[in-house]
Amino acid sequence: MDKLALQLREDAEKIDAGISPQLDARLTSSLQGVKPEFVRQPQRESKSFSFWWASSLTGVAAAVLIIVVANMRAPEPVPQTASSTPIPLAMPSIEWHAKSAVLTSPLEQEIDNLQSDLKKVEEVVKQDIDRLF
Amino acid sequence: MIEAARNGSAAAFTSLVHSYREGLLRFLLTRSSSFADAEDALQDTLINAYRYLHSYDSRWRFSTWLYRIAINNAAKLRSAGTEELGDLHDEESDPLAHCIAASERENLWQCARRQLSDEVYTAMWLRYVEDMSVNDISAVLERSVSWTKVNLLRGRKTLDAELNKNATDHKSKAYG
Repeated sequence: MDKLALQLREDAEKIDAGISPQLDARLTSSLQGVKPEFVRQPQRESKSFSFWWASSLTGVAAAVLIIVVANMRAPEPVPQTASSTPIPLAMPSIEWHAKSAVLTSPLEQEIDNLQSDLKKVEEVVKQDIDRLF
Repeated sequence: MIEAARNGSAAAFTSLVHSYREGLLRFLLTRSSSFADAEDALQDTLINAYRYLHSYDSRWRFSTWLYRIAINNAAKLRSAGTEELGDLHDEESDPLAHCIAASERENLWQCARRQLSDEVYTAMWLRYVEDMSVNDISAVLERSVSWTKVNLLRGRKTLDAELNKNATDHKSKAYG
C-alpha cells in the first residue's frame, strides 16, 4: 500500500462514526415495521380437471359438427371430361317435324301453377340454407 | 442469512447489515450536511435495502449494492436540503469536522471533499476505505470502468499534491 492510500485509510478511521445505542435502537425498530416486497411472478392459474374435460369435449364436438356439415353439402358436379362422355365423331342427322304448339288456357294455367310452385320451393330452400348457416 | 431476510426476517437482516452500518454512517457523514441527515440517510438506506432485498443480485458484492442505495439516499437528502456540501467550510456547521479528531494537519477527506467532485470523491472512498475493485466502483457509480480508472487517477493526483503540500508546510513550520 502506498503512502497516499495508507494516509487515506488512516484519515477515514479518524472519522468518529460509532453507532450510538439510541441510533441502534432506532434502526432496529424502524426495520421491524417494514415488510420486504416480494417479486410477484406471473403465475398461471391452475385449471381444474373438469375444465380440461369440458374444453376437450367442446373441441371434439366442434370437429364432428364441421365434418357433418361438410358431408351434408351436395357433391360438386364432376366436370365432364372427354373420357367420361365420348363425343361420337359422326352424329346421325335427326329430322324434326315439329309444329309450334298452340297453348290453350288450361295449359297456360298449369304452367303458371308450376312456376309459382317452383318459386315457393326455392323460397323454402333459401330459408333452410339461411337457418343452417 | 440473505435468504432468511428475503423471507421477512428482520432479525436476519439486522445481523446481515450489522458489520456495514458503521462504514456506511462514516461515508454518509462525509456526504451529508449534518449528523442528523447522515443518520436519516443510514436509516433510509437500511429500510430500502430490506424492502427491496428481492432485487439484490448475488453476482454483486452485498456492500456494492448497499453503497449504491446509500449514495442515492444521500443524493436525495442533499437535493431536498438547501445547503450545499461546498458551503460547509466552517467547522461549526460541518459534521465531518466535528467527527474528526484534532490533528496537526487537515484530514485528507475534508480536503478531498473540497477539491473533488461528488463522484470522484465517492470513487476514492470506495477504493481506499472500502477496498472495492474498480469494477465494483463502476457498478456503484453506474459509470464505465475506464471512466472510473481515469477519475481515480485524477483524484489520486489531486490528493497526492495536497499531501505533499501539507508535508512541506509541516517541515517549514518545524524548521522555522
